[in-house]
Amino acid sequence: MTDSNQASAFKEQTPFRAKISSLFSNQSVVLVITLIVLGAFFQWGSEGTFLHMDLLGTIMDQWGSYILIAVGQLFVVITGGIDLSVGSTVSLSSVVAGWFVVQQMHKGPEVTGGAAIPYILLIALICLLVGLVVGLVNSWLINQLKIVPFIATLATMGASNGIAVMISVGMPLQGPNDWDLGNPWKIGDFTLPFSTMVLAATFITAVVGLFLHKSRFGLHTYALGSNAFATRGAGISVQKQVVKVYMLSGGLAGLAGAYSYVRLGAGSNTSGMGMELYAIAAVVIGGASLMGGVGRIIGICLGTLVLFVVQSGLLTMTVVQVSPDLKQVIVAILIASAVAVQTLQNKNGRK
Amino acid sequence: MTGEVVYEIKNASKRYGSVIALDGASLKIHAGEVVGLVGDNGAGKSTLVKVLSGAHQPDGGQMFLDGKEVRWDSPRQALEAGVETLYQDSGLAPHLTVSQNVFLGREVTVKGILGWMGFLNKKKMEHDAHRDLEAVGIAVPASNRAVSQLSGGQRQAVAIGRAVAWAQKVIILDEPTNHLGARQANEVLNIIRNAKAKGLGVIFISHTLPHVLEVTDRIVVLRLGRIVKDAPTSDFNGDTLIGTITGTIQTIKVEGD
Repeated sequence: MTDSNQASAFKEQTPFRAKISSLFSNQSVVLVITLIVLGAFFQWGSEGTFLHMDLLGTIMDQWGSYILIAVGQLFVVITGGIDLSVGSTVSLSSVVAGWFVVQQMHKGPEVTGGAAIPYILLIALICLLVGLVVGLVNSWLINQLKIVPFIATLATMGASNGIAVMISVGMPLQGPNDWDLGNPWKIGDFTLPFSTMVLAATFITAVVGLFLHKSRFGLHTYALGSNAFATRGAGISVQKQVVKVYMLSGGLAGLAGAYSYVRLGAGSNTSGMGMELYAIAAVVIGGASLMGGVGRIIGICLGTLVLFVVQSGLLTMTVVQVSPDLKQVIVAILIASAVAVQTLQNKNGRK
Repeated sequence: MTGEVVYEIKNASKRYGSVIALDGASLKIHAGEVVGLVGDNGAGKSTLVKVLSGAHQPDGGQMFLDGKEVRWDSPRQALEAGVETLYQDSGLAPHLTVSQNVFLGREVTVKGILGWMGFLNKKKMEHDAHRDLEAVGIAVPASNRAVSQLSGGQRQAVAIGRAVAWAQKVIILDEPTNHLGARQANEVLNIIRNAKAKGLGVIFISHTLPHVLEVTDRIVVLRLGRIVKDAPTSDFNGDTLIGTITGTIQTIKVEGD
């Protein structure tokens, strides 16, 4: 390739120090270092109990329940938008699926193990459909009524929540479940830090990530957030792209609703409460810019991991007792520092 | 030197509410010809550009591309028919690479089922972008660099190069030398000459009259939505051109020296 010669010509001007600074301006490298430092700190602070498979399994389970909405949020944020409705979509989709299977098909928690699998797949499908509908409504509000994404998704957030309460009457809808799906894998007596559900969420994340970084759909997502006018000028339908991106975010939130159903064994109108804030936090910590055009899947995976390592780590601290209530504050500090790092990087980098 | 009429607009009119933006404008562009479109602010240049590029539909009048009557419902249709437009200051997506910008909206996918799903052939696009930009006279550092890392002049060069590389018949350049230094502006004028040599019809809109006098074959002057003068560039000098634009020279006759 002739291009690489020219690219290396540009690298010649970067001496060792510049190389180091460019390494640190890579969000993923910063996040990996952060994770190592946090791991070492909590291992010390918990007197050696932090790095344990059970706890890592718990962290990965939380990661799995949030990663899908974080990935959906990433797409939306890259376009320069925001999706506040994802938490409510988690609740609504799990409630609708629970309502259908429990109250319409009359299958309760007595259906377990392998017999529950077909019902769980049906639930996942219903959750996905509910999420797609919410995403479609969001994009309709944005495209047709010209409402800014923040307000449009705030409206669907409230509406989804309300509908979820109405359907569930505020009670969890217990349905068929196979608890093994959420339990960590074992090899003999050795416990691995992930379950089937975590693997499924990881697989979906990987596939969606490939589409973001390698496909036309992903490229148009970045283009839209980078310069909507130029995107339109290149003959791309901005409105169609908005529909696709918000439906993707909604659909992934629906699948996160299915994840939460399997975790709880029930559809509940509180299962997604507050999740949208964590999704946005994960995206920002993962290096995406709320101005649009920037963000990578790997960064969001690591950013979500940092969030839950911090939360679980604080609870294991024995050297200093930390109140569980403090974790909110710590998460807030994390978000603020992530944004501060972004600003510093922009200052150092060329405009 | 110039070829057949490639693009023609006849008696076009356009109103925005009670404002008459275009009032019976007619214009012909030949293949291999650079036509300068000049006029004061509010003279109707932007409206004419939007009509020609398919962004707006005229209220009245006809358009012909290669002698066949055409009607654009969207800029996409004009693009696909071979009419490329570079809008003022809008050209590129800064977060994307040079090649991604060059191929935006016309991406090359890989073969097979992955291609059907929209997976991109990055290597081919990087290679072709480099080749195509070089062919129109642009030395771009590397097609895998983000546009935000380029200088203002380089960005504008990529934007114009992109338009020239894709244009099949006509290219409309709205203020392409705006905000550029003298050397960079000269490079842009060279790209316009390349486009002309390629046999494209070029419409060059600019406030920088020396550039217009330097690069065009013919100058069309718009005033209050009407074309008041359409003559070979050799008929103008700086003073008569300004006079025609502002209206101090009223008639078709150009003052001799």
